[in-house]
Amino acid sequence: MRLRDLVRKEIAELAASRAFWLLLLIVGLLTGQSFITAMNAYAEASGIGGGPAALAQGLSPLDGILTPTLGAYDLAITLLLPFVVIRLIASEKSSDALKLMLQWPASIERQIAAKVIALIAAWVVSLAPFFIALAMWRSYGGHLHAPEVLNLIAGYTLRFLLTAAIAMAAASLMSGAANAAIVVLAFTIGTWALDFIATGRGGILQTLASFTPAATLRGFERGLLRVDVVLVMLILSIFGFSLAANWLHLGRTLKARIAGTAVLLILATLATMNVLMLVRTSFDVSENRRNSFSHADENTLAHITERLTITVFLASEDPRMMDFENNVLLKLRRSMPDVSVIYPLAGRSGLFENDARYGTIEYRLGTKSAMSRSTTEEIVLDSIYELAGVRAPARAASAYPGYPLAKKPNGATLVFYALWPAALGAVILSRRSRAARSAKTA
Amino acid sequence: MSLAVAQLSARRGTRQVLTGVSFTAHRGEILGVIGPNGAGKTTLFECVAGLLPFEGTVDHDLLFYVPDAIRPWPDQTVRWTLELMARMFGTRLDETLLDDLDLVALQHATVKSLSKGEAKRLDIAIGLAAPRTVLLLDEPFDGLDLRQTRQVMEVLRRDAANGRTLVLSIHQLSDAARVCDRFLLLDHGRSVAEGTLDELTSGVGGLEEVFLALT
Repeated sequence: MRLRDLVRKEIAELAASRAFWLLLLIVGLLTGQSFITAMNAYAEASGIGGGPAALAQGLSPLDGILTPTLGAYDLAITLLLPFVVIRLIASEKSSDALKLMLQWPASIERQIAAKVIALIAAWVVSLAPFFIALAMWRSYGGHLHAPEVLNLIAGYTLRFLLTAAIAMAAASLMSGAANAAIVVLAFTIGTWALDFIATGRGGILQTLASFTPAATLRGFERGLLRVDVVLVMLILSIFGFSLAANWLHLGRTLKARIAGTAVLLILATLATMNVLMLVRTSFDVSENRRNSFSHADENTLAHITERLTITVFLASEDPRMMDFENNVLLKLRRSMPDVSVIYPLAGRSGLFENDARYGTIEYRLGTKSAMSRSTTEEIVLDSIYELAGVRAPARAASAYPGYPLAKKPNGATLVFYALWPAALGAVILSRRSRAARSAKTA
Repeated sequence: MSLAVAQLSARRGTRQVLTGVSFTAHRGEILGVIGPNGAGKTTLFECVAGLLPFEGTVDHDLLFYVPDAIRPWPDQTVRWTLELMARMFGTRLDETLLDDLDLVALQHATVKSLSKGEAKRLDIAIGLAAPRTVLLLDEPFDGLDLRQTRQVMEVLRRDAANGRTLVLSIHQLSDAARVCDRFLLLDHGRSVAEGTLDELTSGVGGLEEVFLALT
């Protein structure tokens, strides 16, 4: 049996589902709201009201427009997508269509693959409001950096795949759609909790937390493409889809299905561990190179082969910690071959820390060490160069010009709040009238 | 021989539903599986179709099983469903099926909008649309009125005459007696009798007497 036939069937099922059309409607409205709000804020920062404009270099479409606009999809993926995916499985289970499908000359794995392809097609369709927003942004004279756009879409697509995999696995494992929805919701809340608990704690917990859907998106939103994150998300997605297929084999004994789950779990764990241990490649696709030191600094740091151990005496919610993580540690990990970071404090806010060392950061390179309170990039780099006994390279100023745009999102309200719902309504009505005409002629 | 089941045993959860069931079905015959409620007829069909784990052996040609009272893909139309079934087996929908089962007028109706009897006729059409040499139908006459029952029996008879083996689970003994060539009587998960109507009823009376005597 051709995969194309299976995909056609799944697309027809998606198109027949109210949940999918509702998802499209809400995604359009949310995207519109996010885009209009982002445009207004960007215009204000660019000085539209006659007030002082922000420094041009600080005005990046990635932060100001792309990320907030696509952010609408995070909400849709978290709260709406699971219902669309769960329906694809749960409806076939409850109507006993699954019992027919299991007798088709196509393995259930192949049928799950068809569902995934159809879901990806649905995802591409659901991105239409985002593409409309991008087109409007360009028509206003806004700037886009293609690698940033593609990287962001890739991140959200991986997020979509992971959520779809979890929802599909839950729908296959659980007896009803409501139970599956609860499982997916519990997973989402669990990852939020992990994200919250693990921040700034270091160790395995922080490593795990860096792969939660929210954390992975943050990287893509910064214009960072981490190959390990991409691979781990793909592994977890494939694990979820495989788990779904395993539990839909009704003819297998419970023992066989549990054994299958164990095998899949072991394979996924081994693959993930391999990725975590072996893959460190990442690409800074941001136009302003916000995830990288200057080329001169990167070259110098790459030649410091000794392990750099950094002990951060800052609590996880201290704003300096956030600065240090994003502006220094992230770049150091990308630039130096061996960096180890220790987070010795257990408190979250730092308000009740009695440790006299609070606020300091210790750098140890070989037998030498240095202490500093600064979280500023240049000062940290100078401390490391001093420890390594190398001369700090000359640093050029950033060449990023910034892209201010003091324009209101004229027409966006009409497009997203009127034309988009009207277009969807027209498609639904034309489908219905076609069906009615067919029924009449019969 | 199209279907041979030997010493088939199966559980649902912790409950033993079938114990050592054996029977055969031959090419072109209609085998009726009869028995009281809870005898294990549906479980037997699901095991034979590979939809439930079991112990024992099942040898069969390519087969297809249609469960009782299903409404697959409820948001799609009758035609879409039947065309899908045919396409999934690499064939085209035989339009005479729609005619034979009075589905022409319903072909553009959604599955969820069908009445019980209409849905039953769709289920039978689904089974017949699958180009398989053995077809298992669970309660094919349940929900049909007398005229429709006779019509469906006629369709099934014709199909069996074309060489397909039909295994039907039937709780209405009068229907079973009218359409089946042979019978398998199940009780409490065991096969208690197998044979033609004459073989089963010799010296006892009718099929109902056999049923009451053995179950």
